[in-house]
Amino acid sequence: MTGEIKQRSSFELTMRRLLSDRAGLVSLSFILALIAVAIGADAIAAITGHSAVAQFHDIGLTPTGLPVPPGTDFLFGSDQLGRDVMVRLAYGARVSLSIGVVASLLAALIGVTVGLVAGYFGGWIDGVLGRLMDLVMSIPVLLCMLSLVAVFGSSLALSVTVIVFFSWTTMGRVIRGQVLSLKEREFVLASRSMGAGHLSIMVTDILPNLGAPIIIYTTMMVPTSIIFEATLSFLGLGIAPPAPSWGGMLAEAANNSIYMFAWWLVLFPGLALLLTTLSFNILGDALRDALDPSSSKHRLRKKPSKLVEAAS
Amino acid sequence: MEHRLSAALALGALTLALMSSVVVAQDAQTGGTLRVLGTAEVDRFDTVPPATADTGSFFRATTRQLINFAASTDPQEQIAPQADLADSVPVPTDDGKTYTFKLRQGANWDAPGGPRQIVAADVERGFMRLCNPSIPAPAVSYFEDLIVGFADFCAGFGGVEPTVEAMKAYIEQGDVAGIETPADDTVVFHLNYAANDFIYLLTLPVTTPAPVEVLDYLPDSPDYRDNYISNGPYTIASYVPDTKVTLERNPAWQAESDPLRKAYVDTIEVIAGVQPDAAMQQLQSGDGDMLYDINVPPVTVQMLTMQGDDKISTLAEGASRMIWINTVSENNDGALRNPLVRQALNYAVNKAAVVQQLGGREFATPLNGIFPLGILGHHDFAPYPTPDDQGDPERARALLAEAGYPDGLSLKMPFRNAGNGASEAQVLQASLEEAGFKIELVPTPPSDFYPRLITNFDNALNGVWDLVPSGWSPDWPGGAARSIFQPQYTYDGTHGTFNFSDYNNEEANAIAAKALATSDLAEAALLWNQVDEIVMANPPTVPLISQTTVLYHGAGVQNFLPYAAGGNGDWTNVWLKR
Repeated sequence: MTGEIKQRSSFELTMRRLLSDRAGLVSLSFILALIAVAIGADAIAAITGHSAVAQFHDIGLTPTGLPVPPGTDFLFGSDQLGRDVMVRLAYGARVSLSIGVVASLLAALIGVTVGLVAGYFGGWIDGVLGRLMDLVMSIPVLLCMLSLVAVFGSSLALSVTVIVFFSWTTMGRVIRGQVLSLKEREFVLASRSMGAGHLSIMVTDILPNLGAPIIIYTTMMVPTSIIFEATLSFLGLGIAPPAPSWGGMLAEAANNSIYMFAWWLVLFPGLALLLTTLSFNILGDALRDALDPSSSKHRLRKKPSKLVEAAS
Repeated sequence: MEHRLSAALALGALTLALMSSVVVAQDAQTGGTLRVLGTAEVDRFDTVPPATADTGSFFRATTRQLINFAASTDPQEQIAPQADLADSVPVPTDDGKTYTFKLRQGANWDAPGGPRQIVAADVERGFMRLCNPSIPAPAVSYFEDLIVGFADFCAGFGGVEPTVEAMKAYIEQGDVAGIETPADDTVVFHLNYAANDFIYLLTLPVTTPAPVEVLDYLPDSPDYRDNYISNGPYTIASYVPDTKVTLERNPAWQAESDPLRKAYVDTIEVIAGVQPDAAMQQLQSGDGDMLYDINVPPVTVQMLTMQGDDKISTLAEGASRMIWINTVSENNDGALRNPLVRQALNYAVNKAAVVQQLGGREFATPLNGIFPLGILGHHDFAPYPTPDDQGDPERARALLAEAGYPDGLSLKMPFRNAGNGASEAQVLQASLEEAGFKIELVPTPPSDFYPRLITNFDNALNGVWDLVPSGWSPDWPGGAARSIFQPQYTYDGTHGTFNFSDYNNEEANAIAAKALATSDLAEAALLWNQVDEIVMANPPTVPLISQTTVLYHGAGVQNFLPYAAGGNGDWTNVWLKR
């Protein structure tokens, strides 16, 4: 095997770069583990014998209604209603991940479409869409979210809609910028001279070149969406109780000063939220380095040893 | 510290045997600024419009009524009516239909022209203002039919333009036949029928006399507030909306004319906008002294108890919690109109778990009727008994099946998303679901829950809610069965604000009327028991718990005596020792 020259595909190269990034790898493992927990939430509930909403008034609470600390019955302790914090955390991961991923994908879809159309056509279309993005970005997000939820009542669908509505603009702007430069490139001119239509040029020529920013920014949007959802739930406007969500769990811990007594009600959901958002952000960074080596020049200058590796 | 503790113990022991004032006199000190912390501001300065119960503490400091309560640690003394502006508590004559009051001399208005004696005409004027067309008082319904001629006076007032001039003219020319003022120091009330709680009714802030000057302003208008005329030991020094009210001594008030208020502190600051956590921390650090509208969180109570903090105390105000059942909507084809379904709800609820949430039996007890502990008419009965009050899901399921809903029922339950609301709602949901009900919880911001959602009858008709966890505190402590029964469980054709489903039961009404008329309190209690049983036989609500209020204060506060009508320690009887 040694000495043999092997042709590596671009995907393989990307994966090699990604896997050599230790922080990115740890983040990826954490996210995979979290996905496993979310999928296996039912199994966790079955093993512990505690469902996410079952209230244990006898073993989960003291006679005077205080939650019990982490122990053998409840690995992460119980909450103010005598429910298992660990099981709720696992089910909360489902909510956080699904909202995070679904909202980010939808936002990316809208952002890419708008950015592509605005950048490609330019002119008055760009003007209108650009101002639309400005408009959405200028709306005070939290205030608007709160009023929307207050009017329509809280639900999972509304949470996702609201999050999507306020997060597609960043993607839209980035894509528009990229398209502005891409559409002047020779291969686009070539396609056009061969008689390709607008739609065909946008989809078959430009879009594939946008892969890197789309993947990176979508990944980066996931933690923002998760935080959005947690914020809504914390303010009591996310998914309705007793369904568990991390933000809702934190809100219940903050309510009635119960966190002064039960530290585990803040620590575990807080840690879950922190590690998840951190992981997605680090992974996003790692993906950028892997997908677009040119963007990490500043890092290469600092570590010349890697220059050789990257150039090879 | 040691010394203070023993003094407090001695105080507790001695109050049983001695007048508390004797002990108080030993080391009372005047002066200082009492800092009272609240989330919301004092909502009313005028006693006429409806105010929150917490405002009772404010009214205690700035207003006086004919009858009032002493601040005391003794539960019996807390609810014993005592003479305030009256010089004694009168015994009714004419078969309980006539009450004659002599006014205490030396009790003054802080009038613009200097101190002025409170006279009988001021008492009558106070009642007249209650049915003004500008901002009426719901509490007028207690008196309208009771006092001779008052209903006529109010009916006439309803047709008057709500302007200062028109209202002033109507009050100055009008007369309530049943409130006689034969002399400046004598007021005679004539009642249409005997009412054994009339003395209690006269403790309500709405019965505060009114000086002639207030007729020049709309009730509780900015003008009224700027020209506030106090008759209590304190008056308003400054007011910054949503931020702070500062009370200072009322120069017209004379200590010897007031047996109930000692007025030790010089200044009282009521500070708004403080969150419960912050308020508790300020009290513990000594930066704050007392709480205004903040309930001590159950967990904090237990932590303080564990730390051996002796500044925690409880007060039974007759507060209760219940679930209201919507019997007027067409949801589920009117299933909740079926008594069997409502009985099933009563069997299903785990009241013990609600009690546990609030910190155990010390702070709440399961309730099975409409009258909570501490109210004349409360008795221990269980029309829908369940083992240890933990609910009986099988029994509930059976009743539900018998009613024709073997697969259960889906019900919407909005809850007040603040304090203990979410926990309580989820505890209720868990026990109801075990019995086959499917409960959809709707978190509702506290600012919307009572004003927009529950008290708006259209929402009940349109089926916006099926069940609502709700609470009630009577307007006065002790003999307050009327203040629980009338506003919530009677309906005379006009929808009442707090009778969420237009509940009415003529049989119960008839017995309630007898209970109010009898002069024998033991008999009254038995009659109220009957009322309770009749109402619960076909229950409009699911009674949950009788609740005690937990009181807490800062270390600098001495002589902290609960004033039951304010639901907190009495500002006018504490002194400060920093």
